[in-house]
Amino acid sequence: EKDKYIAPSAERGWNDPPQFSYNLQNARGQQKGHLTRRAAPPTSSGNTSTTTVNLKTPPTIPLSSNPLAPPPCSLAPPPRLQAGPPTTTTPPVQPGSQEEEGGGDQTQCEPDVEVVLSSLNRALATCRQSVKDQVCNDVEKRLLLLDDSWRAGKLSLPVRRRMEALSLELRAGHWDSANEIHRSLMVDHVTEVSQWMVGVKRLIAETRNLNPELLEQLQDTSVTDQDSDLLQG
Amino acid sequence: MSTYQEFIQQNEDRDGVRFSWNLWPSSRLEATRLVVPVSCLFTPLKERPDLPPVQYEPVLCSRANCKAVLNPLCQVDFRAKIWACNFCFQRNPFPPSYAGISEANQPAELMPQFSTIEYIVQRGTPAPLIFLYVVDTCLEEEDLQALKESLQMSLSLLPPNALVGLITFGRMVQVHELSCEGIAKSYVFRGTKDLSAKQIQEMLGLSKPMASGQQAFCRYDHVPHVHPALENDPLFLQPVHRVDMNLTDLLGELQRDPWPVPQGKRPLRSTGVALSVAVGLLEGTFPNTGARVMLFIGGPPTQGPGMVVGDELKTPIRSWHDIQKDNARHLKKATKYYEALANRSAVNGHSIDIYACALDQTGLLEMKCLSNLTGGHIVMGDSFNTSLFKQTFQRVFSKDYNGDFRMAFGGVLEVKTSRELKVCGAIGPCVSLNAKGSSVSENEMGVGGTSQWKVCSLNPSTTLGLYFEVVNQHNAPVPQGGRGAVQFVTQYQHSNTQRRIRVTTIARNWADAQSQIQHIESSFDQEAAAVLMARLGVFRAESEEGPDVLRWLDRQLIRLCQKFGQFNKDDPTSFKLSESLSLYPQFMFHMRRSPFLQVFNNSPDESSYYRHHFVRQDLTQSLIMIQPILYSYSFYGPPEPVLLDSSSILPDRILLMDTFFQLVIFHGETIAQWRKAGYQEMAEYENFKQLLQAPLDDAQEILQTRFPMPRYVDTEHGGSQARFLLSKVNPSQTHNNLYAWGQETGAPILTDDVSLQVFMDHLKKLAVSSSA
Repeated sequence: EKDKYIAPSAERGWNDPPQFSYNLQNARGQQKGHLTRRAAPPTSSGNTSTTTVNLKTPPTIPLSSNPLAPPPCSLAPPPRLQAGPPTTTTPPVQPGSQEEEGGGDQTQCEPDVEVVLSSLNRALATCRQSVKDQVCNDVEKRLLLLDDSWRAGKLSLPVRRRMEALSLELRAGHWDSANEIHRSLMVDHVTEVSQWMVGVKRLIAETRNLNPELLEQLQDTSVTDQDSDLLQG
Repeated sequence: MSTYQEFIQQNEDRDGVRFSWNLWPSSRLEATRLVVPVSCLFTPLKERPDLPPVQYEPVLCSRANCKAVLNPLCQVDFRAKIWACNFCFQRNPFPPSYAGISEANQPAELMPQFSTIEYIVQRGTPAPLIFLYVVDTCLEEEDLQALKESLQMSLSLLPPNALVGLITFGRMVQVHELSCEGIAKSYVFRGTKDLSAKQIQEMLGLSKPMASGQQAFCRYDHVPHVHPALENDPLFLQPVHRVDMNLTDLLGELQRDPWPVPQGKRPLRSTGVALSVAVGLLEGTFPNTGARVMLFIGGPPTQGPGMVVGDELKTPIRSWHDIQKDNARHLKKATKYYEALANRSAVNGHSIDIYACALDQTGLLEMKCLSNLTGGHIVMGDSFNTSLFKQTFQRVFSKDYNGDFRMAFGGVLEVKTSRELKVCGAIGPCVSLNAKGSSVSENEMGVGGTSQWKVCSLNPSTTLGLYFEVVNQHNAPVPQGGRGAVQFVTQYQHSNTQRRIRVTTIARNWADAQSQIQHIESSFDQEAAAVLMARLGVFRAESEEGPDVLRWLDRQLIRLCQKFGQFNKDDPTSFKLSESLSLYPQFMFHMRRSPFLQVFNNSPDESSYYRHHFVRQDLTQSLIMIQPILYSYSFYGPPEPVLLDSSSILPDRILLMDTFFQLVIFHGETIAQWRKAGYQEMAEYENFKQLLQAPLDDAQEILQTRFPMPRYVDTEHGGSQARFLLSKVNPSQTHNNLYAWGQETGAPILTDDVSLQVFMDHLKKLAVSSSA
């Protein structure tokens, strides 16, 4: 998904840093810090140490026609510190309350609440055969909340999209992926999802622990429905 | 000398060690003349993705008062299957399982590239991780809502088998039972009365706690266990997977403390009793198991034991000025109270985090020992409803390349030395285990009088400063084999609940200081030395008066310059320092001006916060704190580091400053004008847009990874927030270039307002003076 960066909320604390999405934070590798060098004071002896750098004298810039403007594009932009390609994130230049989906995503359909909820409810129904009633009822309560919130238009597009993805992963038995998506939703959109997400989390946990026969049963019915969805879609 | 730089870097990469000196003076007298003690920064759990742990127990020397671990420095007789301990020279037979070893088939722990090696030891049942949330409900509605959401979010980040518990407090303290069915019960304590651990455990209906004798464990005998009474005890600590739905609801339903707060008053906050109950609860159920108490507070303790300020708003919370005038009523008593709790917690291996979000102080000065002694975090913010808090808190649960938490518990560090060295002490987030022995020096530096310390909670960047003393007598021959050795043995509980032992064994050559002083000098690691001396300074500052610490720091610097400077007597202009020391005076200059030693620009809480982070970070981060990094961005070339000096502030540059606690992006006057005029939006000035973007991209890696998350300041020439930059840079250019000396009598003090140039001039004068 493209939404790697969450625009800052309208009310930020004083000097509050920008908010990074769950996926972006976890994507970090074993990068060495780039910004670790220091300049040596002019009076110190010896410039061969790797921690010292001499200040360069600036070359003359071509005069631009407008003395008040920055150098025009004919001057190549300065080389970047990082060797890799430019990052895909954008800085908090324009605070907005919603993420924007890229224009290229127009071809994706709006997630269907019916399909998503029916996947989840099917999993729940299978769980009822071996999991305690109390737990199943608690999960059901929350799935209803999810349903209501969705239909009432209270869930933002990224949340709907990710719930769709989660339900697909659950259907396919990809428990870890489903869990990752649940975590990313809790981290990035806690206000929208906290009331019901723990029910989805529990559903994933209980479903993955179902005995193989029940799981098979669940996956068989999922496959049948998938076919019928394709026929209709 | 590039050889030593490479050597230093390789050793840090492999062993997580940076020594102040990499050639050791062979006598006590010569070592003291070097001014900076033989000492090292050591990161016990440095991330080593290339180091797979081995699945067997370490082999130990059989001598009862040695027990060093088999390591690459040991001499081995492969034929006779015997090894000689390099610390005590005892000859030990290999265990039967080593029968197959030979020159060509050596166990990993003998190979030089495994100078650092990690063992997984199978012992007893793995104990679950425990997280006990202690939550202040005297918060503004918005803040409380944000905190509740963060806590709910954290439940998704905890491993399913972790145990979790909840205590809320305001005027009263409530311990919540976590059940998966029926009505939620809670046990209420009055916030004004302190209770003993026994009373708390009785009132909570806990079974008889473990015998108190099982506290400081001796090496390799410790067996962690899940308390068998878990099934029968009231349900205060339960596995996440069982109670997550109910706990999520419980958190969602938390209300602000119901007791009304009259006009002109602070809310009654019983932090002291809340912590006492938390510590007592854990003590009574899971002593000697990894646990984190996570305290969330929105203001200072105002009632009961450990109160920091009264509830009258017209009485402000103590400032440094008040403390200096001995006008801080509650300070001593509160500090003592929290120190007692901290020590109890440390003995049990439980760490305490403090997440303090408020616009005013919250009492970190009194409570800091809770985290400093146990290795817990202190996070300080303005409100729980900020991305700084939310993301910093998320990062507590960050995972490494294996998908495991970066936190470790129950760390015990033991240091062994060859007999020419003794251990003077450690500075970092630890407590002494009072382990006496032949390698313990009588001279204490930091937490001394021991060769073992407990670090209840640690992560891959936790770094301790360790200080040594050379004990060889002057003119005694350089020891046989020519090398001194130190072994660091760290036992700990990994976040995946395995018990592990990491062993690092290092050696350095002895050198006769009289004939080889130049070699010793070239082995000096000025970066490590600066941080190690700075930690000593901060340690002193916590117990002594401010000006004395500055005097001490200055005196050490002058002595070092006198010893190693090249100069003609009484001729300051002739003074030169070799490359291995050239940056050291600058580090000391910045250290003197730093918030770690200059307290009057900050509140006592802020000073405590800065110092807390300073004495536990690795070398690179510590140096950033001492002397912030400054990079300059322009059209003229790639971004480059520039002097932390007012002369680096130019109209056509963008500056990025990293102080560790803040990231400041400062736009020079011309850049700011261009930005305001909107040139970055025009296609022909795409390069200007890229220039504006460059520092943001470079800052991103820091923002994404640093713990705690720094404040982020985007400012420009003339902006009010420019003061962050202006206060840090060396004021080499001011309207007034006349500076007065400090007092001429007594030890010289270099005044605080001087520029680096003036500081260096004075330093040189003092170093070359024959009357010094």
